[in-house]
Amino acid sequence: MAIKQKFTFFDIINIFFLCLFGVVTILPFMHVIAKAFSGEGPVIAGLVNFLPKQFQVDTVLYVLQRSEFLGAFRISAIVTVIGSALAMFLTVTAAYPLSKPNLIGRKFFLYIFVFIMLFNAGMVPNYLLFNSLDLLNTIWALVLSGTFSVFNMFIVKNYFESLPESVEESARIDGASGIKTLLYVVLPMSKPVLATITLFYGVGYWNNYMSGVLYITKASLKPLQQYLFDLTNEALNIMDSTGNIKNIDSAMNLTGESVRSATIVVSTVPILILYPFLQKYFVKGITIGSVKG
Amino acid sequence: MRIGTNTRSFTQYFKQNYDMYLLLIPALVYIFIFNIIPLQGIVLAFKDYNMFIADSPWKSIGASEWVGFKHFINVFARSDFKRALSNTIIISAYKIVFLFPLPIIFAVLLNEVRSIKFQKGLQTVVYLPHFLSWTVIAGIFISLLGSTGVVNAALVNLGFDKVKFLMDNSVFREVLIFTAGWKETGWNSIVYFAAIAGLDQECYEAAYIDGAGRFQRMWYVTLPGLLPTVVVLLIIRVGAFMSAGFSQIFAMYNPTVYESADIIDTFVYRIGLGKMDFSTGTAVGLFNSLIGLALVLFTNRISKKLTGRSIW
Repeated sequence: MAIKQKFTFFDIINIFFLCLFGVVTILPFMHVIAKAFSGEGPVIAGLVNFLPKQFQVDTVLYVLQRSEFLGAFRISAIVTVIGSALAMFLTVTAAYPLSKPNLIGRKFFLYIFVFIMLFNAGMVPNYLLFNSLDLLNTIWALVLSGTFSVFNMFIVKNYFESLPESVEESARIDGASGIKTLLYVVLPMSKPVLATITLFYGVGYWNNYMSGVLYITKASLKPLQQYLFDLTNEALNIMDSTGNIKNIDSAMNLTGESVRSATIVVSTVPILILYPFLQKYFVKGITIGSVKG
Repeated sequence: MRIGTNTRSFTQYFKQNYDMYLLLIPALVYIFIFNIIPLQGIVLAFKDYNMFIADSPWKSIGASEWVGFKHFINVFARSDFKRALSNTIIISAYKIVFLFPLPIIFAVLLNEVRSIKFQKGLQTVVYLPHFLSWTVIAGIFISLLGSTGVVNAALVNLGFDKVKFLMDNSVFREVLIFTAGWKETGWNSIVYFAAIAGLDQECYEAAYIDGAGRFQRMWYVTLPGLLPTVVVLLIIRVGAFMSAGFSQIFAMYNPTVYESADIIDTFVYRIGLGKMDFSTGTAVGLFNSLIGLALVLFTNRISKKLTGRSIW
């Protein structure tokens, strides 16, 4: 039987609060978008709230032509593509054998993976290792730091374990090797989880700025997020403790408020374009991940 | 001849399964280089590091002189370390107390709305900030909360004084908590939302027939149904206590708010890499990792006892 429910005063309050939450989430975006498309004058005067004043697209076009921005965007794109591909390769090749309950030594390998998930040597040893491997100021520092996520590997492993055994068995009986079974039987059945984890890695790479801060000092190799980090940090640090501008020279060089907003907006566009997919597959991934804890 | 059969069946096993071990090699090589080798670097915490004593910074670790617990003793006496430790604890505790319940409340309340369209629409909005990096979010909030930002303009209009949100130690932690909540509340509600969807509809119907009103159904059916999920997630959350939000704070803080927001991770970065005091940085990092590890192992034990399942 269906539960009959009247629309009550509670519903009004409830919907009001939920809408308020939605509005609080949206307004900061609207603000930065409004600034990106407003004239320089209203932005400097602090007159732009949530809608553009003196609408123009020049600032955005200017950002799109800046060589620093384009270079950083390119680096981020390259790192995201290479990094995600490499990460997926490592994840799938590790997850498949570990999903086999009868694999001799499975417990030992699982123990190693859990251990590195729980314990990290820390920033300094990692930095010194990257330094000694001559990875500083190379794209590989960005690709190789934090490539492999044990957590993601476990999600894929759990998914492989949930597949029906009979299909794989028949492939093995037909004489297919383990690797062939993985390629032609298991992977085609696992498209949803592979899409999800690829997106996990992709967004992770795209949004990572710490690797850049730690390992990259050369301007031409900075990824987009590090470039943004430098812009905002510049803005934070030219003011002293009273909130006044510390010295006029750095204020002159400071990238203007409008340009900063436009850069933020433009660098978020790839995420926004992918957002419908991201939402669908991420939600799926969370649910797959929580099925088996 | 049991041994003989065992060896034979083992060779047979290996013949059939050697490619499984081949598959494991790439990931094992990766974690050996980038996770296991750095562990040797931990000895730095017990040495006076001289970067140039051998021909590479890494080899210099081995060649440097042992000094025992000197760096730990020195750093534990420093007031900026104590400040970082207490900030880590305070910020993490605030985040758990204020931000852990929010997604639960949000999921329960959104579930009460009948319109699926409204539910889906609002979810699309509130999941979005999760996909943005902290640099983007820092940029957005600096422009909102700065001295010429919208929030201050509104405050002045309403007759209040301006607040230096990003420069004032008395409000900066609140800014951190708020922005963290803004970014992740919607996202973290997914698990609860899925858990609610998985609850047995018959329980609601039975409660309804027994005359339970709406709030009673929320209180006696929805919340108890969510409890196992809440317990597991709370345990995981407490296990991550020593991570107070490095990438967030690093993107948002500045020297004027070190007093309220410098946490252990940012301290390690500034001392260890910024000031090149590698040994102290390693020592503090190790201290943090060990407490973190102990917390995870401890909370996992609790999880096993309470819910019968291990986090990993």
